[in-house]
Amino acid sequence: MEMNKIESPEESRKLLDKIVFDLTRSIVKKDELTRFWFFILIVFAGVGLWGWAIQIDQGLGVTGMRDYVSWGMYIANFVFFVAFSLVGFLISSAMHLLNIHWVKPISRVAEQVAIAGVALAGIIIVMDMGRPDRLLNVFLHGRFASPIVWDLTVVTTYLTISVLLFYIPLIPDLALLRDRLGDEVPKWKMKIYTILSLGWKGNAKQYKTVYHAMRVLMILIVPVGLSIHTVTSWLFAATLRAGWDTTIFGPYFVAGAFVAGVAAVIILMYIYRIRHGLQEYFEDIHFDKMAKLLVFVSLVYLYFNVNEFLVPGYKMKTAEGIHLSNIFSGGYSLMFWSVQISGLILPTILLLFKFFRKPLSLVIISVVVLATAWLKRFIIVIPTMEHPFLPIQNVPENFHHYAPTSIEIMITLFSFCAAILIISVLAKFFPVITIWEYAEEKGIDKKYLSEQPKN
Amino acid sequence: MIKKLTLLIVVILFLSAQQGISQEWLVPADKQSIENPSDYNLENVKKGKDLYMTNCKSCHGDAGKNNSLALVPLPPDIASETMQANSEGSLFYKLSNGKGLMPAFETTLPEADRWLLVNYIMNYSPDNTPVWVDLPPVKARLKATVNTVNRLVEIFAEAENKTGNYSNLTETPVNVCVERAFGNLPIGQVLTDNEGNAEFSIPENIIGDEEGFVTVVVSLGEDFEAKKVTVEKLKIGIPKETPKLIKKGVIWSTNENIPMWMLLSYLGAVGGAWLAIIYVVFQIVKIRRLSKE
Ligand code: HEC
Repeated sequence: MEMNKIESPEESRKLLDKIVFDLTRSIVKKDELTRFWFFILIVFAGVGLWGWAIQIDQGLGVTGMRDYVSWGMYIANFVFFVAFSLVGFLISSAMHLLNIHWVKPISRVAEQVAIAGVALAGIIIVMDMGRPDRLLNVFLHGRFASPIVWDLTVVTTYLTISVLLFYIPLIPDLALLRDRLGDEVPKWKMKIYTILSLGWKGNAKQYKTVYHAMRVLMILIVPVGLSIHTVTSWLFAATLRAGWDTTIFGPYFVAGAFVAGVAAVIILMYIYRIRHGLQEYFEDIHFDKMAKLLVFVSLVYLYFNVNEFLVPGYKMKTAEGIHLSNIFSGGYSLMFWSVQISGLILPTILLLFKFFRKPLSLVIISVVVLATAWLKRFIIVIPTMEHPFLPIQNVPENFHHYAPTSIEIMITLFSFCAAILIISVLAKFFPVITIWEYAEEKGIDKKYLSEQPKN
Repeated sequence: MIKKLTLLIVVILFLSAQQGISQEWLVPADKQSIENPSDYNLENVKKGKDLYMTNCKSCHGDAGKNNSLALVPLPPDIASETMQANSEGSLFYKLSNGKGLMPAFETTLPEADRWLLVNYIMNYSPDNTPVWVDLPPVKARLKATVNTVNRLVEIFAEAENKTGNYSNLTETPVNVCVERAFGNLPIGQVLTDNEGNAEFSIPENIIGDEEGFVTVVVSLGEDFEAKKVTVEKLKIGIPKETPKLIKKGVIWSTNENIPMWMLLSYLGAVGGAWLAIIYVVFQIVKIRRLSKE
């Protein structure tokens, strides 16, 4: 990956052709498996939407949420997707700004994850509402001092920035697709590329503008990205409830988000590598580096976990004590310990060994990390709600404990399918690696990019 | 074998159901025969009635009216056969020790009072000539006005006499209450004089609504059938303080009370981010324009 300038124009052209060919195969290829994949996703998402229709028709009573546990699986999903999306900020902004070169081929994958995550986070808030038609009221009558309003603002802002940060580096690539794919793709697709590429010529001024806009966005996304998950944590931490009333919730959430996001990106990298034969692009070294990154963010998260649980656990204040014993040794203990051990401690230890940083073993570990990351959000949201400060009395038995109903599971299914669908569509339409940036890293001069292919 | 087992289960279920429905309230023989130390006379029965009114009526209802509270098992009417099947010793034992929803009065009423209660119950025994007779309520009329300056409730009461005419109601207690959200709060009682008049001076510390308005309700006791008099919206109370739930100066306040720095921080952050976004959108426009060069 070092900058070895390729002297001869022939060599440059040949290499560029190969890169473009390799990275556009997934776009051009028409195969049964892809169709089947989209079919499955749409069917399952449809089933989930049907669940939402039932919920809108009959009200939130179809969920397991009652007077006491009024935040259930939806909010756990919401926090999970916000977390999931934060990796866009880490990889395509923070690490870019720090001039870490090896992340460049990965930034678009990270941006795919960011867009899918934050889009779904927004949709889930609406799905958690009994009267989604009143969403506008939050903007019309919301309080400026309410974390809910802050959260809504920051989610929309982050979504916009993520889309822009996906789009702007894509413009030169779109021009490449426009110029080179010819009739390999259907006319309507070509039309989309033509429109979106804004008539890109590839002159120096244009590149300068792209770099400039990217830089503004990368800097902007630092505070916004940090805010999105910090504000999400304030939804909890701004209350007096045992388990949420803690000052480190912001960084604790941010650190946890990086763990989930890095795992998600690794999984996608692996899928692209295998499905589209991109072994030369998502190289072993990338997996190795990502594994090390995962170890790093996991250690930070572990540090926050120790603070988050050991400090109140040492004191066991009355309400906090009830909550913590429920988590440590009560009804949620199995979930809690498996999350902490198999989602955090074990992966960290395993990934210290080179063997486990190989793509396949790393991706298996990442799947476990991602699944436990979801469970972790469940543990953050629900047990606290089951322990209000005033005793629960004179209510039906099912108000005491929360268990998601099949409708909630259906809607959760929808959100996961929709997120994967967004990623799949993005990957089907646009190269998963920024071609022009990658070519530049390989030492190909920009002037070859805007050349029309000879054939 | 299975049949036998089923039979056994049915029998056990049946027996235990029986047990649950009508558990006999047994009183030890020596307790049954204890004699009532207080005499059965008008004075003691009247005292017993007063005790009954405060301690028992809420569940057992009025004697002979079968209007007890719908509990399980039903608290028997004191004039009923069930109640009267008890000996005096049994009554004393039962009301002292209680059972289920029937409280044990051993700890709350002195022994002498409990025997007085037995006297009152015995007033309805078929073996006794009643010494206290519940008269039907007398028709009465009540007038009341409130003098807000002197803070006086001026009352006049008259009742139907034997000839069917109304005459002044003398030496009779009149209840004065103020209306509250969940019922009337008694604030005092006055006796009428020889002319049927009474004056009640309203205490200074009555709490009214937000503006200090109070509604006064005047009524006669249960022995009379008279309409209550309600005098509404009198400016005689202390205004009720309603502490504002959301005070100024708390961070999470309403938009009207939001701290300025909070509003500015929010608007500043959001505005700044969106200005930058708009700037980037302009860059996109610029890229497009540069294509034409
Ligand atoms: C909270 C409601 C309640 C109050 C107050 C109450 N009782 Fe009872 N009482 C009951 C109930 C219910 C029973 C029936 C208990 C049973 O049979 O298991 C009962 C039963 C009795 C019996 C036994 C009747 C029988 O079956 O032989 C006596 C005697 C009695 N009450 C007297 C009194 C007296 C006297 C007072 C007031 C000092 C009083 N109760 C106050 C609820 C009440």
